[in-house]
Amino acid sequence: MRPLLGLVLLSSLLYGEVAYKGYVGADTQAYLTKPDGKHPANFTLQQQLELSYNVGDFESAISLYAQEDSYDLSRDHAERNERTFVRLDELYAKYYFENDMIFGGRNIRFWGALEVNNIVDTFNTKDFRTDGLDPQKQGAWNLAYTHYTDSGEISLVVKLYEEQQKMAAYPYAYYFFPKEAEGMPITYDATLQSKENLYRPTLYLNWSGSTESDYPIDYAFIGQYGFDSQRAFQQAVDYITPLVTLSEEAYLVAKVMSYNTMVVGSTLLKVEALATNVIDKNVSSIGKVIDDYYQVGLGVEHTLTGVNGDADLGLIAEYYYYDTFKHSNNIATDLNLFQVFQNDLFVGFRYTFNDASDSSIVAGAIIDMEYNEQSYSFKYETRMFDVLSVKADYAYINPSTTDPTAYALMGLNPNDPTADPSAHQRIGLNLAYHF
Amino acid sequence: MKKLLISMAMVANVWAISNFELAQKSDAVMSGYSDAKSEMVMTLINANAQERQRTMKSMVLEKEGGDKSLMEFLTPADVKGTKFLSYEHADKDDDQWLYLPALKRVKRIASKNKSGSFMGSEFSYEDLTAFNIDKYNYSGDAQEVVVEGKKMFKSERIPNSKNSGYTKQISWTTADTFLTMKVEYYDRKKELLKTAIFEDYKKIDGIWRIGKITMTNHQNDKKTILVWKNETIKNGLKDKDFNKRVLKR
Repeated sequence: MRPLLGLVLLSSLLYGEVAYKGYVGADTQAYLTKPDGKHPANFTLQQQLELSYNVGDFESAISLYAQEDSYDLSRDHAERNERTFVRLDELYAKYYFENDMIFGGRNIRFWGALEVNNIVDTFNTKDFRTDGLDPQKQGAWNLAYTHYTDSGEISLVVKLYEEQQKMAAYPYAYYFFPKEAEGMPITYDATLQSKENLYRPTLYLNWSGSTESDYPIDYAFIGQYGFDSQRAFQQAVDYITPLVTLSEEAYLVAKVMSYNTMVVGSTLLKVEALATNVIDKNVSSIGKVIDDYYQVGLGVEHTLTGVNGDADLGLIAEYYYYDTFKHSNNIATDLNLFQVFQNDLFVGFRYTFNDASDSSIVAGAIIDMEYNEQSYSFKYETRMFDVLSVKADYAYINPSTTDPTAYALMGLNPNDPTADPSAHQRIGLNLAYHF
Repeated sequence: MKKLLISMAMVANVWAISNFELAQKSDAVMSGYSDAKSEMVMTLINANAQERQRTMKSMVLEKEGGDKSLMEFLTPADVKGTKFLSYEHADKDDDQWLYLPALKRVKRIASKNKSGSFMGSEFSYEDLTAFNIDKYNYSGDAQEVVVEGKKMFKSERIPNSKNSGYTKQISWTTADTFLTMKVEYYDRKKELLKTAIFEDYKKIDGIWRIGKITMTNHQNDKKTILVWKNETIKNGLKDKDFNKRVLKR
């Protein structure tokens, strides 16, 4: 019986299609201006591997990401920044029926229409250990059933576990907390806190589709009940050690979200919006109420083709707004909750060379009108020898001097906490061999 | 003598074919495939004769109002799994979406301007869509010419869309099979921009299918060769095989 079973398994494996893709890369950043005490540069090796096995209407895949940071090899523990890890991003199986699909496993989903900040892309938590300015998403365990129609689909997704949000440790440049408070060192503990069991399911009902008209629209509406993607921050003080420990706290919400794109000629008009009803508003140890809140993102992307020969120029402007419904006088502010985009405007462009190397330049500025903070970025991407991707970037951040934003906290001088946070500048280079 | 000239002119008139009729016949011999699946190899050659290659999987569904097509990139490795879905419309802008596997994102594309380069090649998006009679204006008769001992019709058509990258296209079509062998594309300044040479026609299930197009850009000296491999037609594909859902599969 056992050899027969083995033969059946082997024959089904041979019948199916096995595919792989991935990359091995080197990533480095040099910080031209940085807060005192933080690393002047980073050098990281990165590897990613995706394997998929498909047979008929059955699909399965596994995706792994690993990185090794040079500081984590240091004998001096104070120099290590906890940027070395292996992460399972995806491990799933799905089966397609005529007009339905069932899914089980761990995966990454994308929800959104905007280019710079997707306020409704809340399914997966972020991993800030890869690049603090461009964090990756980490997979989430879930089950899903999808029914397809001619014009769209409706899905019920059940997230099975609430993931921790990983961050690198001090003295990594993008450690977004001060080194110390009231003379005590601060440490971030990624262990997620909650009154609820973290295995409590979060439900998402997603309806999306497209209209066929002179001004076609791609639309999506999502209803959510369960853990919020926004987290409260707990602060535990141990006067004996002494040590201040920060950790995130998850709480329950009922939320509605929507993201839409309308095509008007060469212009895309985009809207993302959400409204959140916080079910347990008194969860935070910071002594403030987590209030109901809403977010809106508006975007426009206009493409000019044939600029300077074959190149395309995409002009992008986006605006993001966050506010609470102010049900209490003692509510946690967006700063308490690490909401980065409260009243922010992005203006930028994407210049696509349309050459054989798929070269492009993306550049822009984010103006935080709430806290008087500006960040500028420039990224160039190209390909060499068909297998080597090359990315070079420059970023300049002028943090708020009036409010404790994430960038301001990141730039605080531990030797003189009363001094204004300094501007931050970096150049980065990423080379990756793809297979 | 006068009578002879008149009768010769009458014969020529009987044998003449209008540019519109020629387009109809040319369209007819390439139509009726219902759907097609193939692998495509695109070779990009720059002015210094350096070559880059891209490979793709392609599916097309033949539709009355405009074809539906799905293209998946297999190489270069960093774009493997990228998919491009297009619904062509004769009377309005095409619907287009791009799937970016690294982000798991389906992104809507504005398709108004059809003259943009396709993946850095010398083909534009409008070059790669199936020939559709309704997209052009025709006037006058096709000119009968002999090319390398073969009788052909030289024909002119003008794109209807103001968003086309071309002001005029001149095609050479075989007189016996009505297959297009060459097209010259004139840019918005009415200067010769590109020439496409159509080769390796083969009949699959009684329908003529193209095997190779070489597109030469006369203004930048670049060239792109597009080759279709292992093509099958009448595979029984349906509209749902070109639904947005297939982008994430």
